[in-house]
Amino acid sequence: MAAQSDSQEPTAPAVPLAVGARRWLPVLRGHGGASWRRWRYPFTRRTPLLIETDFNPVTLNAERRILNPAPILWVIGLAALAIAPPQIGNNSFVLSATSFAMYAAINVIWMLTIGTAGIFSLASLATVGVGAYGSSYLSVYFGFPWWAMWLTGPLFGLVFGVIIAIPAIRLEGFYYALLTVGITELCRAFVTQDQTLGSANGLLGADSFVPSSMSDRGGLVLGYYLALLLLLGALVLYRVVNGQRLGRLLRAAPEKHEAFAEALGIDYRTTRIQVFLISSAALGGVGAFYATLLHGATPSLFTMDQLLLLLAMVVVGGIGTAEGAVVGTLIVVLFDKVFIGLGPIRLILIAGIMLGTVLFLRGGLFGIPAQYLAWRGKRRSERRGRHSSKGGEVMPEDAIEITDKQAIFVRRFDARLRAELKKLITEDLIKEHRATFGQRRSDALERVLTYFRSVAVTDKYAILAVKPFAEYRIVALSGRRGVPPRAVDDQVFTSEHDALHGVFLKRVQDLMDS
Amino acid sequence: MDPYYLLLTAVSLASIYGLLAIGISIIWSSLGMINLAQGFTFTVAGYGAWLAAQNISTNGFVVVAAGVMTGALAGALTGLLAFIPLYDKPNFPLRSLIATLAISLMGGQALLWLFTPRVKALPKIFGVGSIHIGPATASYDKIGAIVCSAILLLLTLGWMKGSRRGLEIRAMMQNPEGAALVGVGLRSTAMAVMMVTGAMAGLASVLLSQTYFISPFAGTTPLVKGMVVALAGGLGSVAGALIAAVLIGFVEAFTAVQLGGQYVLMTQFLFIIAVLLVRPRGIAGMIEHSRE
Repeated sequence: MAAQSDSQEPTAPAVPLAVGARRWLPVLRGHGGASWRRWRYPFTRRTPLLIETDFNPVTLNAERRILNPAPILWVIGLAALAIAPPQIGNNSFVLSATSFAMYAAINVIWMLTIGTAGIFSLASLATVGVGAYGSSYLSVYFGFPWWAMWLTGPLFGLVFGVIIAIPAIRLEGFYYALLTVGITELCRAFVTQDQTLGSANGLLGADSFVPSSMSDRGGLVLGYYLALLLLLGALVLYRVVNGQRLGRLLRAAPEKHEAFAEALGIDYRTTRIQVFLISSAALGGVGAFYATLLHGATPSLFTMDQLLLLLAMVVVGGIGTAEGAVVGTLIVVLFDKVFIGLGPIRLILIAGIMLGTVLFLRGGLFGIPAQYLAWRGKRRSERRGRHSSKGGEVMPEDAIEITDKQAIFVRRFDARLRAELKKLITEDLIKEHRATFGQRRSDALERVLTYFRSVAVTDKYAILAVKPFAEYRIVALSGRRGVPPRAVDDQVFTSEHDALHGVFLKRVQDLMDS
Repeated sequence: MDPYYLLLTAVSLASIYGLLAIGISIIWSSLGMINLAQGFTFTVAGYGAWLAAQNISTNGFVVVAAGVMTGALAGALTGLLAFIPLYDKPNFPLRSLIATLAISLMGGQALLWLFTPRVKALPKIFGVGSIHIGPATASYDKIGAIVCSAILLLLTLGWMKGSRRGLEIRAMMQNPEGAALVGVGLRSTAMAVMMVTGAMAGLASVLLSQTYFISPFAGTTPLVKGMVVALAGGLGSVAGALIAAVLIGFVEAFTAVQLGGQYVLMTQFLFIIAVLLVRPRGIAGMIEHSRE
């Protein structure tokens, strides 16, 4: 019985989809009442997933759609990062994964400065370097253990941040970007010349969080997981700063609209500096982590090449988003570490990717959807300009924007019906209409008249008896209560039949014009 | 230490950095682009001059001409890659800045790949020796650097003031859209600017290589110093860049005498930060938002 019903399962009738129907959006089933149920973070009203419930106008079923799948992708991606590298890779792979997590953390925090605060500072790696050198110095000369280094790193970052924030108050955009490039170069010159900071070899010998009893592999894996935790912490910091009060204030004061925001009472300067200092302190913390991971700090932190690599990561992913920072880092680190056998060519490749991104994409990889939509909109309006209508039928590019797909079919039916009726209109038909009031009419005339009678009341023609049996005029109904009909023309008819025929002629003319 | 000697060193260095700074300044004010590939142009020109000295002749004119021409070509390449495809696109200033950075990364690595990290030395085009002017002793290469850069600067300034193309460049500095409306070709003018500034960087490279060596990343320090001078002088102002170059040269000489060579960069930066805090657009920078 079951086998029979399986084999005779009626296949869904091949109904053509309305133009513009979105097949690819995954739809969750569920009772309509489920639309009010939400997972919420404890003690807040925030929900992890934005779900919208709608009723399908055809089947009347409740359909739930996930509006923003980003949280799911984040969880999958971070879970893969947590499980995969220590399982599948050898030691150098785990080391590469560690540096990926660390660079991603730096980039996410840096994004707060260049994205949220809109301060184009290129001194991010210099801040990391100051944190690393400062905490290494305390460890090497004063015997600070690793946890104390972690605590002092942010302090160094904060102090450095305060120093480089002073010019940021006065300078604008590119003046500041150039100045920070110079500051990075200054730091490099300083640490390579100073004997107490280890000159060109770097300041090595700092305490590490890896216990000396641990195996090499164990230490690497521990380092990787701590770096991953650091990345998670950076993402949380990004969310807290960018998504809460500070970020919202700054989003209200974008570039070139500062004066307006100021008029609203938003102190955007202070807010920018606050965000800048927060991210500087966090970068100092990353620097301390760097020092405890690699037993010290080296001048390579301050080189122009490292800065360029970091910028490449941010640019490829797209400035202004955390996911752009992480994915861009992944791509660049993949090229930098996996193709290490290629030598300088791999850096040329990375620079090529960076150049290509900048030449062809407005906002990096994660700006592609918006850029594609803008491009499609442009092409669509160009096409509309070329042929705006096709007999009143809805064009495919318009159909996407119409929610009630039935309206599309109604207009399609109407267009085809009118095309058929136009073939019936002849001189004889018009003469027949004038001659046969009150009599039986031909099939063709009845069809035409039925269509005319069925049109909407708005702008429908009617006759107005100015003087009964003597003077009639044609009017058009307004279709709104209380609004009188308007006169169509000055033509005056002496009999009711003439007036009715006049209405018929007008409708025929409209039909032929449509 | 002879203070006259240090002063002369500082002035000759300042004249070389001034060449780069004026290039950066002119490019910013006429094209609206921060050219961080100027260091790459500098390095490529050094290698061009070296190749000419190896293969053609060690004659001073040949070496200088080769450096200047390679610099102009590298400048044109930067313009083709970073200005022409981008100048009418949204977010142009940031995208072109990143494009020039990418060019400088690519170029540096390509040079490293082609020429290996071993440093190269140019022949002494001004000869070896020195002359005495009163109490001071000046070596030929320093005098040569000051004279050469002064000649090229004067030629460039005269060309910008007197020629048709210079008029177009100045029109583009004041208002690029207005210039385009009255028939100035933005692309061709931009390429001319890139070639002239590239030639200036090329000359600076040949002159500086009389003292230092050529290596794939030799352009970074001159780029940073040129930028510092351009910033302190005010982006877009040739006169400001000249004043700033002299001032920063004096700061360098004074620091080297009083404190020691390793503090030079630090005092320079403190000086420029102080200048920028007092005048955020530099000593003679254009009025705020004038390029928008």
